[in-house]
Amino acid sequence: MLGAISWLVFITGAHMLLNVDWNVLLNDRLPFAKRKLNVAFIPVT
Amino acid sequence: MTDYIASHSKSGHQFIPRMFQGFPEIKEALMSNKMQAGFMVAPMAIALRAQGVPIKIVYLGHRYGSAVVVAKNGPIRTFGDLRGRTIAIPSRYSDERLIIFKALAQNGMSARDIRMVEMAPPDVAGALAAGAIDAFSMGEPYPAQAEMAGFGRVLFNARQYWPDYISCVLVVRQDVIDQRPEAVQVLVDGIARSGLWLDNPPRRQVRRIHAADFVGRYYYRQDPRLLRWALTKPLDRVLYQPLSPARKDFELIVSLMRSTGVLDRPIAFEEYVDTRFAEGAKHETEWRYEPGDATAQ
Repeated sequence: MLGAISWLVFITGAHMLLNVDWNVLLNDRLPFAKRKLNVAFIPVT
Repeated sequence: MTDYIASHSKSGHQFIPRMFQGFPEIKEALMSNKMQAGFMVAPMAIALRAQGVPIKIVYLGHRYGSAVVVAKNGPIRTFGDLRGRTIAIPSRYSDERLIIFKALAQNGMSARDIRMVEMAPPDVAGALAAGAIDAFSMGEPYPAQAEMAGFGRVLFNARQYWPDYISCVLVVRQDVIDQRPEAVQVLVDGIARSGLWLDNPPRRQVRRIHAADFVGRYYYRQDPRLLRWALTKPLDRVLYQPLSPARKDFELIVSLMRSTGVLDRPIAFEEYVDTRFAEGAKHETEWRYEPGDATAQ
C-alpha cells in the first residue's frame, strides 16, 4: 500500500514538474490587465 | 528570438511564446482567447477578419523565406514539369498557395494542371522524401530541411514570382488592442528591434548563426544546423525588415485571394490591419546584445 502511494506521489510530482508549464498556468490566473500576452507561433521563420 | 533577447534585458520575459504545429490550431486558439496574439499566414488572417473574427494584423513576421521544393534527382526541372503533379501547401489560406497561382499564370497554366494538397508544415519534407508528394510550397526551414538532408532542391524562391513577398504576419485580438495597446506596442517594438538586430549588415552572419542556435534549441526544438542553413544560405534567404504592413502588399494578397476563390467579398485595408503599432516602432533601434553577452538592452 505504502509503495503504491509513494509511486503515485512520485509519478504525480514528476508529471507536474515535467509536463505542466507553470508560467502559463500562473499567468492565466492573473487579472487581464497584468497578464503577459500568450503569443502563438509555428516553427517556421 | 525577441523573447530570448528580452529575457536578457531588465524587462525580462515580456510575453509567453507558445509553439503550435499548424495554422488551423493557432486560429482556434486565437478565437477561443487561449492566445491573445499569434503568427499566421497573411491570407488566413484576412479571411478570418472577413468572417468577422475580431483580430487585426499589426506587423509582419518576416519577408521572403518561402520556396517551392522538388526531389533533388527527380524529373521536375522547370515549373512546367509540375503539370499533373501533387504539390503540398500549408493551407488554402496561405501565400504559399498564392505563389503557385502566380507561377501558374506566368507559365500559361491553370489550377487544373496541378493538384494541391494541404499538409502541416513539419510533415512536408518527409512526404517529399517518401515520394508521397512531388513538390511542396512552404516557408523556411522546411525547404532548408529538404536541401540539407540531400533529397530536395529549390525549384524557385517566392521572390522570383513575387518581388515583395510576405508570408507570416503578427495578429492580435481586438480586445487586447483596445484594452492593452501598450502591451501590443511592447511586442511590436521587440520584434522590430529583433529584425534590425538580425539584419545589421556587418554583424548579420554571426548574429544569424547565434539566433539559429538559441531559437533552434529553446523554441523550435529543431537541430540548430537546420535554422543556420535557412538563415545563412544565402543571408537574404529570409529578411527581417521592413516589417511594417504596406497597403500595396496586402491589396495584392486580397486581389489574389479573390481571384482564386478563398475570399468572397472585398475588404478594406483598414478593416484587417492596424498600422499604429508599426508606426510606433519606426524609431526603434536594434537590440544591444551580442552573442555571448549576459545582458541585453
